Amino acid sequence: MILEIAWKNVWRNKTRSLIVIAAVTIGVFAGVFTIAAMNSSVVQRIDAAVNEEMSHIQVNNKDFRSSADIRNIINDYPSLKSVLEATPGVVNTTGRIIIKGIASTASKSTGVEITGINIEKEKEIFTLPRKLIPGTGSYFGSETKFNTAFIGEKLAKELNIIRYTLTGDVLSKLESEGVPAEVVAKLGSIRDQKYPTDKKFSKSVDRLLTQSEIKKFSLKIEEAAWSYRDGSKMILSFLDMNNNQTGAAFRVTGIFRTNNDMFESLSVFVPENELRELTGMEEGTFHRAIARLENDELTDKVTPEIRESLPGYEVLNWKEIQPDLAMMADMMQEIYGIFMGIILAALAFGIVNTMLMAVLERTREIGMLAAIGMNRRKIFSMIMLESVFLSIVGGVMGMAVSAAVIGATSKNGINLVKYSEGMEAFGYTAHLFPTIDVQFFITTTILIVLTGILSSIYPARKALKLNPVEAIRGE
Amino acid sequence: MAVVQINNVYRTYHDTEVEVKAINGVTLSFEKGEFAVVVGPSGSGKTTLLNLIGGLDQPTGGEIIIAGHPLSGLRPSELIDFRKEHVGFVFQSYNLIPVLTAAENVGFIMSLQKWLKEKRKSRTEELLDSVGLADRHNSRPSQLSGGQQQRVAVARALATHPEFILADEPTANLDSKSAESLLDIMEKLNREEEMTFIFSTHDVRVMKRARRVITLEDGRVISDELRY
Repeated sequence: MILEIAWKNVWRNKTRSLIVIAAVTIGVFAGVFTIAAMNSSVVQRIDAAVNEEMSHIQVNNKDFRSSADIRNIINDYPSLKSVLEATPGVVNTTGRIIIKGIASTASKSTGVEITGINIEKEKEIFTLPRKLIPGTGSYFGSETKFNTAFIGEKLAKELNIIRYTLTGDVLSKLESEGVPAEVVAKLGSIRDQKYPTDKKFSKSVDRLLTQSEIKKFSLKIEEAAWSYRDGSKMILSFLDMNNNQTGAAFRVTGIFRTNNDMFESLSVFVPENELRELTGMEEGTFHRAIARLENDELTDKVTPEIRESLPGYEVLNWKEIQPDLAMMADMMQEIYGIFMGIILAALAFGIVNTMLMAVLERTREIGMLAAIGMNRRKIFSMIMLESVFLSIVGGVMGMAVSAAVIGATSKNGINLVKYSEGMEAFGYTAHLFPTIDVQFFITTTILIVLTGILSSIYPARKALKLNPVEAIRGE
Repeated sequence: MAVVQINNVYRTYHDTEVEVKAINGVTLSFEKGEFAVVVGPSGSGKTTLLNLIGGLDQPTGGEIIIAGHPLSGLRPSELIDFRKEHVGFVFQSYNLIPVLTAAENVGFIMSLQKWLKEKRKSRTEELLDSVGLADRHNSRPSQLSGGQQQRVAVARALATHPEFILADEPTANLDSKSAESLLDIMEKLNREEEMTFIFSTHDVRVMKRARRVITLEDGRVISDELRY
């Protein structure tokens, strides 16, 4: 009965209740969705770091990181590998040769980290092969007499392997895709000029076009002007096992694109046998062993076990290699807490205000209920239930809207292309796929109900203080 | 045994600088089945007396005994239970629960007393029938006239067979036709269920029907007239 009356009381002033419910819904949605979007950038960053760059656990010769001397190798890789494979939670392993060197083309040179890999194993462990930019070749698939390398887009730009050129073909393609003839005509003045970076290219384009033309067409023009020199070569030079300078020409077999500019500009992947030939490194020796785990959550459990089994080596997990990621994940938890705290506080004030109004408006009725024998506990419960209903309805609606919007946006993502340059410089994607775990939904719903209960205490106590005689008389 | 026994009761208010003796040494008793009114000018203490009898207020002196149970010394929570078990209230402004239907309003105290659903339903039907609202079970108070609402209030007051019903100016907001019909119903219930009614009123229509008229002035009983 009390439950029924409380529910009906919520709806006696429909407008007021709906406004409160709408406010709660919007508040909860805003909070949950923002958190989901922020969460996605961290989750995606961790995901990319683990799946494209580092995997879960790396084992190095213990001097390797402090001095990147090519001779700091893992001598007994086969037994190290079997230790890793015998550790519960480890699902795959591979070895990598890692050499610091210089990549050069005719026009540019830059420092790089050359990684010699087992192509098949890497395909099993990393998602990087799938990050190949369409039209730039393959992941070590092409037949060539040259050595081969798989490099990042940023490095390709730095080495002028990728550049921006408005050729005659590009201009006519733009026109056929709906760019007005007068805009194409304006672009004619920079026809066939080669720009090494998108920045330099768009600067030139911006000079030729009006603001509205830039807004409408600049992305399209930049995309069309992006060109890759098929079969480009670069020279990689480095020291061999005898500390002698060596090097060779490598054909770029494919170019990958990630959201991490730093990784893209530094990484050069080459088949391990090519590197062994050039450096004189023996078969079965590596600088780094990589272990892939069943899932990210096992990291903290498995790392100490491996560390104990391999005392002579440096064993690091992804959190230790990139502590900023672990810190971001931790900090995010705190930010979520603060965020939800603020939203719940606003929710509480809204409910206290509404319920106080409801109690003061119903002084006579509550007095009558006390007069005819409704005890204090029941009156208190009735007011409390009304607040809980308000918060539950608003909270559940907020959660439902959040779930729907997160579900919808998690498929196609939210593209913050405007900020991509800044975000990708730090390794964060500008294309967010909002995501949130079920646990967060459950906790938030419980917190909303608790807030409803807590914020009903003051109005409910106010109701209990009413003297039935005065309450009935007073109007 | 008297249903209500009031022995030399005082109720003094100290709310202002002046001490107000709202009830000033009243001794009365009401027997089962009485149909009594308390009359008197405004401020004579009628409502205070009814509040004291109903356990809504506590006397500052004297003793009130309801069906053999003294009210003095009861804690507020015990007083609430006492009211729920022993007293039926009819208020001047009907005071129904606006979100409940007529039937739910009548059933409310029964559900507070944890009556079984079936029993509650049949008692509700019986009562709404006897107050002439058999066809308005599912009407909300806002869909009923003042007279109809007051009849629902009477049915609610009677629902759990209280010792007596206190009706504070029950006809004050009603037109004469509604008032007469309400009084008819109350008289009928008084006869049929042998229910004790104690009214406070200014209304001559109520006074005319009463079988006992108690007149208060300045918190004292100045006459207590039986009409059989």
